[in-house]
Amino acid sequence: MISTLAWNNVRTNRLGLAASFAAVLLAAMLVSGSGLLVAGADTRDELSDIMGLLVLSAAVSGFVAVFVVAGTLSMHVLRQRRTWALLRSVGMTSRQVSRLITAEAMVVAVLASAAGCVLAVPYAALMAGFLRTTGLAAADVPVEMTTGPFILALVTGPGVTLPAARVAARKAIGVRPLEVLRESAAQRRLLPWPRAVVGAIALAGGIVLLWLVPQVKPVAAVPAGLGATMALCVGASALGPVALRVMGGALGALVAWIDPGAGMPVRASLVTQPRRAMSAASPVMLTVALACTFLFAVATGDAATGITRTGPSAWAAPMMVGSAVIYTVISVLNATAMTMAERTEEIRLLRTVGTGPRQLVRAVCWETLIVTSVGALLGTGIAAASLTALGKAATGEAWFAYSPLQYATLVLVCVASGLSGALAATWKVRHGPLLPGD
Amino acid sequence: MSDHAVLLQGVTRTYGSGATEVAALRQVDHGFPRGGFTAVMGPSGSGKSTLLQCASGLDRPDSGAVRVAGQDITRLAENELAVLRRDRIGVIFQSFNLVPSLTAWQNVILPSRLARRRPDPAHVRGLLARVGLAGRERHRPAQLSGGQQQRVAIARALLGRPEVLFADEPTGALDRGTGRQVLALLREAVDEFGQTVVMVTHDPEAAVRADQVLFLTDGRIVDILDRPSTAQIGARLDGRR
Ligand SMILES: Nc1ncnc2c1ncn2[C@@H]1O[C@H](COP(=O)(O)OP(=O)(O)O)[C@@H](O)[C@H]1O
Ligand SMILES: [Mg+2]
Repeated sequence: MISTLAWNNVRTNRLGLAASFAAVLLAAMLVSGSGLLVAGADTRDELSDIMGLLVLSAAVSGFVAVFVVAGTLSMHVLRQRRTWALLRSVGMTSRQVSRLITAEAMVVAVLASAAGCVLAVPYAALMAGFLRTTGLAAADVPVEMTTGPFILALVTGPGVTLPAARVAARKAIGVRPLEVLRESAAQRRLLPWPRAVVGAIALAGGIVLLWLVPQVKPVAAVPAGLGATMALCVGASALGPVALRVMGGALGALVAWIDPGAGMPVRASLVTQPRRAMSAASPVMLTVALACTFLFAVATGDAATGITRTGPSAWAAPMMVGSAVIYTVISVLNATAMTMAERTEEIRLLRTVGTGPRQLVRAVCWETLIVTSVGALLGTGIAAASLTALGKAATGEAWFAYSPLQYATLVLVCVASGLSGALAATWKVRHGPLLPGD
Repeated sequence: MSDHAVLLQGVTRTYGSGATEVAALRQVDHGFPRGGFTAVMGPSGSGKSTLLQCASGLDRPDSGAVRVAGQDITRLAENELAVLRRDRIGVIFQSFNLVPSLTAWQNVILPSRLARRRPDPAHVRGLLARVGLAGRERHRPAQLSGGQQQRVAIARALLGRPEVLFADEPTGALDRGTGRQVLALLREAVDEFGQTVVMVTHDPEAAVRADQVLFLTDGRIVDILDRPSTAQIGARLDGRR
């Protein structure tokens, strides 16, 4: 019964689940694809250098996957809260709703992991070719067809999805049916204590790792630095709503002063719903923090050892980061689109009281700009902390190398995907007829 | 023509197509008198909301003209329509009238801020007091009851003093007492400020406050009564049923 309902739900909510599907698919593809390469490189001594990089990038993919899958699933569940409330008001127990949500997510995860395994083979071949032509690998990397990486991917996809779905389901049933149906939009607490505790622990762990980076063996420094970035990202995204209320409030006040009509609702939404805003800022923060740490750690290491890369080799690290960035871009797009789609009713109302089409576009853009900027700022801060520690490990000084061009490109890509997601998600309600409540 | 705040000429609106086609309005001609209070009644599905949406520029009719202050609003571009809604028209729905993240005060001044005007705070405070919301200026919609939210929406419509106020079952979700207060405010808009009010309602007690009652059936105006009594309205509704 539950599985039939879950399957039907998946079929009718194809669009909402497409993002989760894409996230799991890419995670499975990256993990098993990198696994195939690692398995191939494992047999060759001259490839031990590249092994480390491959393992690291697979680990980063896995981490990002947890974040992205959790984010897309919780948004999907939140968006459907009316369905859950309705099911409960006709007598479904909260346990059944929870099982339904989990089953629905698992259907998607299994399908997406399978698809990811299929795509892993061409992905691995492509990466092998890329590593050879750029000279990043000392020799040809053979793609070894073993079952191990596929099994790993088939476990990772559903394994990542299950806890994410559980958390999302808990959120869904935490809302009493009447609250949702009455549309009282009960203001969520800014920082419930479990979230505050998780955030504080993660931050503390990150700081410990930062301190450890210069102390550990040189080979362990980069993994420790990336670990610090990941821990700080978890902490910042848990405690982020507080930062967003403060920073968003200040930037919102500025916008409300420059552009009063469009700015007033923007500021109000950031101040009253910082958690919603944070769910859109998180993927930007994650992208900027991880990509900068990864990219500029390589640059810092090169500078410390006096290596200057030219030609294709100079583009190797940026391009490896690029493939991970494509992944997070999807989540930025999805997150902004979802947070905006939640506000259909509000935008319709703004139009009804006379907000012009250009004012509406400006309001959507201002809000997205502020949210992505806060995300980028947090990410930059986290990366700078980890890179400083890495620089200290490599040179003994609190210093690191970075490329302003690569940094600017990265931030621009995030902002542009946020803006496109937000504008695309609001297109229909910005242009359609103003019929209330459908 | 200038004695009509809103003039509908041959307005037709059809939803869907083919087998699911529904003619919600069929060739409706009517002028809403300037400074008048008109109630629109009729069975459910007779096209009352559609009439309101077309007359207020929220929706475009398939054919016909809607003139507000002599100007055919069906031909306006989207940004001209926005200015019209901001400055000349106020709309009040049965529910969800307020932006949830804005306080009562901010909701009231929103149209002015959209026009880059800065309304006099004393005036806004006085207006909120008049609709019985003194001391609630900083409350958000979630902290207000349905009736209070409705009155914030009316205060918003009174602040800009738009020429025409459209209300779709504004008392539908309210108890009798709160409903009466809302009606009194709409009546005041007409009597004190010369605004034009068009209100859809099911309730004969609400309709009796109007100067004129339109009866709609199957997308057509089938009857118009001037200053009818509750008994007359009741009889008219029963006769049709
Ligand atoms: N958005 C819509 N899509 C399709 N049909 C609609 C839509 N809105 C209204 N209708 C149909 O048009 C007719 C008139 O609707 P409406 O104006 O809402 O009636 P009333 O407000 O008098 O109850 C009804 O038959 C209704 O089903
Ligand atoms: Mg109606």
